[in-house]
Amino acid sequence: MRKKEKMRLERGVREKSTVKYFAIIFLLLLLVMGMVLPQGARSLVIHVMIFCILAMGYDISLGFTNQCSLGHSVFFGIGAYGAVLSILHLHIGFLPSLFFSLLGGFILGTLTGFISVRLSEAYFVIVTAIFFGVFHLLAMDMTWLTGGDDGLSVNLQTLSVGGISISLYDQRVNYYFVLVFLILSYLALDRIIRSPMGKIFVSIRENEKRVQFLGYNVYRYKLIAFIVSGVFSALSGGLYGLTLRYGSADFFSFHWSIMPVVWCLIGGLGTLAGPWIGVVIMSLFQYYVSAWWTYYLILFGIIILLILRISRKGILGYVLSRRLS
Amino acid sequence: MPEIVSTVLFLFINGLIWGLIVALIALGLTLIFGVMGIVNMAHGDIYMAGAVLSFYVVGMFGNFWLSLILVPVIVILFAAPLERLVLRPYEGYHSTSMIATVGISFIIQQIALGIYGGIPKKISNPWPMSFNFLGVDYPGYRFLVAFISILILAGLWLFLYRTSYGILVRASMQDREMASAMGIDVNKILITTFVLGCVLAAVGGVLAAPIYQVFYLMGHDVILLSFIVVIIGGLGSLKGTLIAALALCSIEGVMASFLSPVQAKAAIFIIMIVVLMRRPRGLFAE
Amino acid sequence: MASNHPLLETVSVTMRFGGLTALDQVSYSIHEGDVRGIIGPNGAGKTTLFNVITGELKPTSGKIFLRGEEITHLPPHLICQKGLSRTFQLTLIFPEMTVYDSIWVGVNSRAKKPWNPVLVAHRVSDLSQKTQEICHLVGLEEKMDELVCNLSYGDQKILEMAMALSTQPSVLLLDEPTQGVSPKETDHIIQVIERLSKNMTIILIEHSMDVVLRLCHRITVLSEGRVVAEGSPNEISKNEEVQRIYLGEVS
Repeated sequence: MRKKEKMRLERGVREKSTVKYFAIIFLLLLLVMGMVLPQGARSLVIHVMIFCILAMGYDISLGFTNQCSLGHSVFFGIGAYGAVLSILHLHIGFLPSLFFSLLGGFILGTLTGFISVRLSEAYFVIVTAIFFGVFHLLAMDMTWLTGGDDGLSVNLQTLSVGGISISLYDQRVNYYFVLVFLILSYLALDRIIRSPMGKIFVSIRENEKRVQFLGYNVYRYKLIAFIVSGVFSALSGGLYGLTLRYGSADFFSFHWSIMPVVWCLIGGLGTLAGPWIGVVIMSLFQYYVSAWWTYYLILFGIIILLILRISRKGILGYVLSRRLS
Repeated sequence: MPEIVSTVLFLFINGLIWGLIVALIALGLTLIFGVMGIVNMAHGDIYMAGAVLSFYVVGMFGNFWLSLILVPVIVILFAAPLERLVLRPYEGYHSTSMIATVGISFIIQQIALGIYGGIPKKISNPWPMSFNFLGVDYPGYRFLVAFISILILAGLWLFLYRTSYGILVRASMQDREMASAMGIDVNKILITTFVLGCVLAAVGGVLAAPIYQVFYLMGHDVILLSFIVVIIGGLGSLKGTLIAALALCSIEGVMASFLSPVQAKAAIFIIMIVVLMRRPRGLFAE
Repeated sequence: MASNHPLLETVSVTMRFGGLTALDQVSYSIHEGDVRGIIGPNGAGKTTLFNVITGELKPTSGKIFLRGEEITHLPPHLICQKGLSRTFQLTLIFPEMTVYDSIWVGVNSRAKKPWNPVLVAHRVSDLSQKTQEICHLVGLEEKMDELVCNLSYGDQKILEMAMALSTQPSVLLLDEPTQGVSPKETDHIIQVIERLSKNMTIILIEHSMDVVLRLCHRITVLSEGRVVAEGSPNEISKNEEVQRIYLGEVS
């Protein structure tokens, strides 16, 4: 019995292990790159790391419980403003400000989830899109709070830990600060996915009705997944606000709702680290192509259509299904 | 008549007329979803395309009313192949079709930006008459908009409820597999429905163009409003969409008298949440 | 060993969909240890009865009791937690999970903290032991690591049963477990059900008279939403009306 169990453990993990190796290599690369990259490139990579957290957070919703939300910009924005506003008004340091990002993500995730998660698929995707629209309008309008799309700038305090001063104004410190959160987020989410709760998420994605008839309150688990997704998305927003030292109503724009979807579709739904590939590809794409053609968004639209044409589960889904059959 | 009442009445009627335009657009959205299972995120951009096209028709021929004929024709020429060649694989897949139509939305927006430009422009009032009603001057063009919208709605009703083809469209809304099993040419119904939905949105854009400025991003506000309308009314319910559109736009119009536009929009949003908590499928869902 | 009170009981259950009456005042009861069959032509209401009992549908009128407790208006997941488990005619499976994981999910639902987000799922020993036991019971232990989408249809039907078993039910509802399956696999499935019937209460919907006659202690015949006959396999096979119902049907 024990030998078989070991065999089964190994085999069950093998398919996922490709992604895991990729994740470890990617993170190690990031560790090294932080020291050697020139300043411009390092800045780009910091943004990539932040987006990787956002992509992972979104994957929990879409890739692991099949909840295609178009409202995640709400979490990203609230995360950024949680950090920025708490620093501005409460005069706290940058590290505690992230607590407010997470809190904002949790509260909004619970409220939005409570209203949306129980809805059918079409209603869910539309209502989350409505949340994006309304929050974006409100953020642009309430300039006394948000600064509108001009935004609010903040000055960050220097953190002193045992004689060492940590200041995010040093780009290298900023880089490793974000990397630490990326690694922690990955470890936490990976643990959740491998836990009983994670297995329930996956089974909900595979066949929701069946899970109901196995004795689970499916709505409750979908809600938990949605909230977890919101919290990590808010974390990425907070890190973004800290990195830019700035918060703007633009952080609530549609760009932040649709990009996670595209990252996950390119990189692979339900793989956690797969979407990082999507982040890298799309970041490079935007960086180079937008400089070359003003109307590069047309290409972006075509890319979306092409990916979905190949497979509704994204590129990796297509690749995996070819290998499995 | 006291001024406050006439102001509110003015805003109410304005809202109602805007509600007629929104009804056209939202009905297109509901039809497309009901028959094809597609959540059309590009619907607002088709409305914008209608407005932009009417701008060019006015520029080229000097006649605004011509666009009511030309724009639908142009839309049919583009919408039919769009459905057949691009959208067909996503039909029935609610989330996937939403993302796919986001892609289409970007493409339409950028083309409009490239050709029409990023500056909002106005179309001159095609009927600069005004009527005095209960002590307030109403722009004549808006009454014409109401009249035309009601005509279109009546025509739509006749089509869907009194012609055999229209009844087939409604049957497909109820149950597509059954319709197909009964030998109905589903292919034709899908193209017809999509084209019809797009024409409704585009005509809405044409009618709205002289009232509001023509701007390549004007679809955003409209799609948000249409989504709220359809959620409250019930996705796939024609009656619900119509009632929700008229009710919400008139309410929003009245609220704009003492709230800012964004606050009025937020109030409508709250109404939607309240409705959803009691009726997760909208007020008139089947 | 069967107690006097029925384990599962429906009292005058009627299910109407608009103008269509799918179930017409069906009163049905089953005691612990029973192995009961439900047969009838297509559209007789057999699956609808299962749907109503398991909470997927709320009956238009009537009540359902499990161990004396009313479960009529409970949601499906609570009814399952109370010990009622079912298979579906069109298998509800997890295509991209392994056989092992599929059964594990059901086993986990009975754990004290099924929602645990911290432990590594596969390392919880009592759960993995129970899962392997069920794999062994239905004969799928060789295929534990196979992805469900790669299984043959017969194996998927067996997995469907295994999943229903994984929640430790006291009553097992099987909806046409051998439908669409090859004769050899049918035999295997029948053997599994026979093994289960020794210490489990089972209700079996079947189209094939042979299976029902072989396995069941008592058979109920449904037609057009009504119970038309009930009795031992012997009695039912000789029942003229039953023969007429089946002869009249093109199946």
